[in-house]
Amino acid sequence: MIGARILALTALIAFGAWAEETPVDHAHHGQAMEGMRMSAAGMVMNENTDRLPRDCRQISRDVDITVRAGRKYAAARPGTMFAYDQPVWDSPACARVTVTLINDDQVRHQWMVHGLPRYLYPEGMFHLEVSGGGKESGTFIVPSAAKTYLVHCDVPQHAEKGMKGELKVAGGDGDLPSIPGVSAPLEPDRYRTRWDLATLSLGAAAGLAGALLSARLLRRR
Amino acid sequence: MIRRLLFLAIVLAAAFAAAPRRWLPSALAPAQDALLGASAYREPPASEPIDVRDVEPPCANEHPEWREEQVIEGVTIERSPVCEPDNPYFIAAVVKGTSNVSMDTLMRAGMAPDAVVKENDRDGDGDPDDVHIKLEVVELNGRSPDTLELLLQYPIAPGISPGFWVFAPKGFGMATRSLEDLRANPLYRVPSPVIRVEQGDTVSITLENTHYLPHTIHFHGVDHPYHFHLDPSDLKTRVGNDGVPETDEMAVMPGESHTYVFTPRQPGTKFYHCHVQPQAHLLMGLQGIFVVEEGRPNNWVETLNPGAGHVRHSSVAVREQYEREYDLHYMDLDKSLHELVQQANDPRLIARAINRTYNIAHRVASYFLLNGRSFPFTFRESLVVVKPDQKVKLRVLNGGLSLISLHPHGQALTETHLDGIEVPPAAQVTRDVVAIAAAQRVDLLLDTTNDGLHSYGDGVWLFHDHNEHAFTTDGVSPGGHISAIAYESYLDATGWPITHGIDWRPFFSPDYYRRKIPVWVTYDDMRMLGEAGSVTPSPRQVVARMLLAGLLLGMLGAAFVRPKRRRPRL
Repeated sequence: MIGARILALTALIAFGAWAEETPVDHAHHGQAMEGMRMSAAGMVMNENTDRLPRDCRQISRDVDITVRAGRKYAAARPGTMFAYDQPVWDSPACARVTVTLINDDQVRHQWMVHGLPRYLYPEGMFHLEVSGGGKESGTFIVPSAAKTYLVHCDVPQHAEKGMKGELKVAGGDGDLPSIPGVSAPLEPDRYRTRWDLATLSLGAAAGLAGALLSARLLRRR
Repeated sequence: MIRRLLFLAIVLAAAFAAAPRRWLPSALAPAQDALLGASAYREPPASEPIDVRDVEPPCANEHPEWREEQVIEGVTIERSPVCEPDNPYFIAAVVKGTSNVSMDTLMRAGMAPDAVVKENDRDGDGDPDDVHIKLEVVELNGRSPDTLELLLQYPIAPGISPGFWVFAPKGFGMATRSLEDLRANPLYRVPSPVIRVEQGDTVSITLENTHYLPHTIHFHGVDHPYHFHLDPSDLKTRVGNDGVPETDEMAVMPGESHTYVFTPRQPGTKFYHCHVQPQAHLLMGLQGIFVVEEGRPNNWVETLNPGAGHVRHSSVAVREQYEREYDLHYMDLDKSLHELVQQANDPRLIARAINRTYNIAHRVASYFLLNGRSFPFTFRESLVVVKPDQKVKLRVLNGGLSLISLHPHGQALTETHLDGIEVPPAAQVTRDVVAIAAAQRVDLLLDTTNDGLHSYGDGVWLFHDHNEHAFTTDGVSPGGHISAIAYESYLDATGWPITHGIDWRPFFSPDYYRRKIPVWVTYDDMRMLGEAGSVTPSPRQVVARMLLAGLLLGMLGAAFVRPKRRRPRL
């Protein structure tokens, strides 16, 4: 997750958003935040329905994304425990994206996107959060650049255990690491190895061939 | 023949030169000295310079304004003059209920609006009688698939970050302090929060299992029915209430929730913990103190006390008898259990490691915690701060496996309650070593009257387990759960105790607990007890020994390798 965070930060710097940001708002627990709606069912943070990114002349179109979150979506992927119903979402440049997060579990889940321009979104973040069984919608406007944004649930260990995805704007710029079903983790787990006869025989044959080859080459001298 | 004799002589001479002095007959030793000059005075190596690196400040003093007595949302919050006091907005939110405070207080507290819901003053005595608490399960110092850095960092001492699972108040937003600061947000810490309710309240506790393994809550010593009925007219639908997956209920699987409901009739200091594979889950941190306060009118209690410690808004009954109150939660850890969650990401691999690879029969305690920290971090937040002529209530839980022999310097403590049940006043014992076995609770009266029995007067009196193992962090002392009873006259403006002994800087360096810093370094200005340097070997001795080794190797070679006969050239 940190790797992904660092990646998101690097991307930010690369796009120059770092230089043009307003003073860093270390908005975290203990501080009130702007652009926030909160209820017992959930919350929306840094919602933006009308302020345009600097590189967009107008909103290109409205995109609706429905995301379902829950343990059942992880069942098909061994080694995970939580997931969104799909790991990748697409959006055209300068689109106004409305995300509806439906939580099929009985615990809190989030849909948090990182790496947005900080002059519009404090900490570069748009965030939806829904209590168990709930549903919440929120809207934000994406910039024009082709970029892949990290999306995850920041409830401890949810992203690590599979609730992670990517939002590709204008086709994106590649894949982030350890997106379930899309890309490999940077620090993969090690599993027990079980040898089958065919691989074992192939390996033995290759070894023998190598030995014969070197003996032959040396004898020629 | 001559060649062989010559060879033998060389071997013998080399052996003589190479042999350690103490192996030689006493008559021959001086001859070796003469040959090698070893008896000449060689100065032992000088002490090495010691570099105490990465020292963090003892007290970062992040929130001096949190120490003062203050009133937030109408809740009076007692002064707490330690380095790291609890967040007063959090206290206000849990005393009033997160459902009854302003958005601003809630944001500063970092809790979800439904984390602690308090409502319905059914008996009309001025305080709410229905309390609904929501707890999540959080992993600290956990594993990531993308980096070997730990997630939700929570060090217990400099450089030491074991993996933990804890119950935590229902939060919102980011789990770390910010995108760049990967420390766990203050809500997420060890131990699980103290839960405080009033006798006769209807208490509902919902476990929202946000973790990737199954869990439950068992309320140890808290009066609860084995089952309860969601619909009193339908006695067939039973909801498990004892938290034991083998008997009363299914465990709460990841993503699921379960609500426990009870109305405790008896007050006292109790215990709650996960009852799934307790030999691992309980010790991983899924355990907390549960206090049932005596019923009183207008009794708004501090429903959650994260990380235990100073109770800054005591119940009415406690305030009738005591000036201050502290929750003291002791634990001990086997580090090999706590490393397992840091070695894999796949829940199945973690489950296998914890349930089947780890064997508690081989357990050795390596870390000792008071309120989730080891020395010297205990001095930031878990000092028992007192003034003369006070009565202070200590609620102590031993959540570990080792027997605790709790000993305060300079005071004697009176055992008023055992496992939350009052000891008849005539039978109460005052002593200076209090024994507490696993899962036991002892309520102690600390009376700071300077009479030579209860107190010997002001000071920074060490407060520690007299089992000396608990003095150490993985065998390095001072560590473990050492704390102190600190009189206010001995605290500086940042709440740090004014001490008159050695410099504490090395204790704030991770190198100290990696055994890289000599212990006496800060005792000794002249550095006579520093790290002894190294010596270079004597070249003559090296030559003699290598020569002997070469000769012996050659002999071996000669025994096995036959020289090739050259074909005579024609």
